[in-house]
Amino acid sequence: MRAEIINPFLQAASEVLESELGSPPQRGAIGLQRSAYTSDEVTAVVAVTGEVAGMVLFAMTESTARAMVSKMMGQDFPELDALAQSGIAEIGNVITGRASCLLSEAGFSSDLAPPMLIVGRGSMISTLDVQRLVIPMETEFGQIEIQVALKLTSAASARRAA
Amino acid sequence: MVVDDAAFMRLRASKVLQDNGHEVLQAENGADAVRQYAKHHPDAVLLDITMPEMDGLEALKEIRKLDPTARVAMVTAMGQQAIVMEALRAGAKDFILKPFQPDRVLSALQKLLAA
Repeated sequence: MRAEIINPFLQAASEVLESELGSPPQRGAIGLQRSAYTSDEVTAVVAVTGEVAGMVLFAMTESTARAMVSKMMGQDFPELDALAQSGIAEIGNVITGRASCLLSEAGFSSDLAPPMLIVGRGSMISTLDVQRLVIPMETEFGQIEIQVALKLTSAASARRAA
Repeated sequence: MVVDDAAFMRLRASKVLQDNGHEVLQAENGADAVRQYAKHHPDAVLLDITMPEMDGLEALKEIRKLDPTARVAMVTAMGQQAIVMEALRAGAKDFILKPFQPDRVLSALQKLLAA
């Protein structure tokens, strides 16, 4: 995966998580995976379309999800109810939205679909032939694993090569 | 009035305002915002840009048709500069970047109420 696609996500995740959670996250070792992803307890999914297309996953445990939305809302969430789920989806949405803006500045236009949430560990998600960049982000509320499965469209690749 | 299709963001901004003594209406999309504005004429509107049914820019224009003195601030993801500029030309008084901090929401409201 190209650095021009990777770097916007690294920057966006750091900026948004620090702003929302009040302390800077620590980034773990970045890896590439091609095998199917098995979901964690809570996974926000944001689809991306345009010159850069695919999906971005934000996976975490339920306790991390509840702790994060509790911090953001300033009230305790003892359960991952509909409101808490909306909050987790929005974290994914805002990070991906920020990355999309940075991608645009780098010359790649993209648009986002409304975020979705997978609740429950163990669902298998295959991104087929698209490799996933795995970015572990350690926060004071637990780890968020960001998985970026994006590729340049052939038209965008051709334009960049020209 | 706080307008956002994402329930968490809508309630979060509303809570900040309510905790500081303001009465808050909520709307889930632009069309809902226009209906509620016509009915209640709130003192100020915090209006998300990207929403289903009617987006924030269209809702801004409809609200300003109803009330040319409407005091509206746009709530936007970082990087939507072109849309923000169009909203400012269409009569928005301010904009708030997501992710937002409570102080920024309150300062935007104060700016609107002073306009």
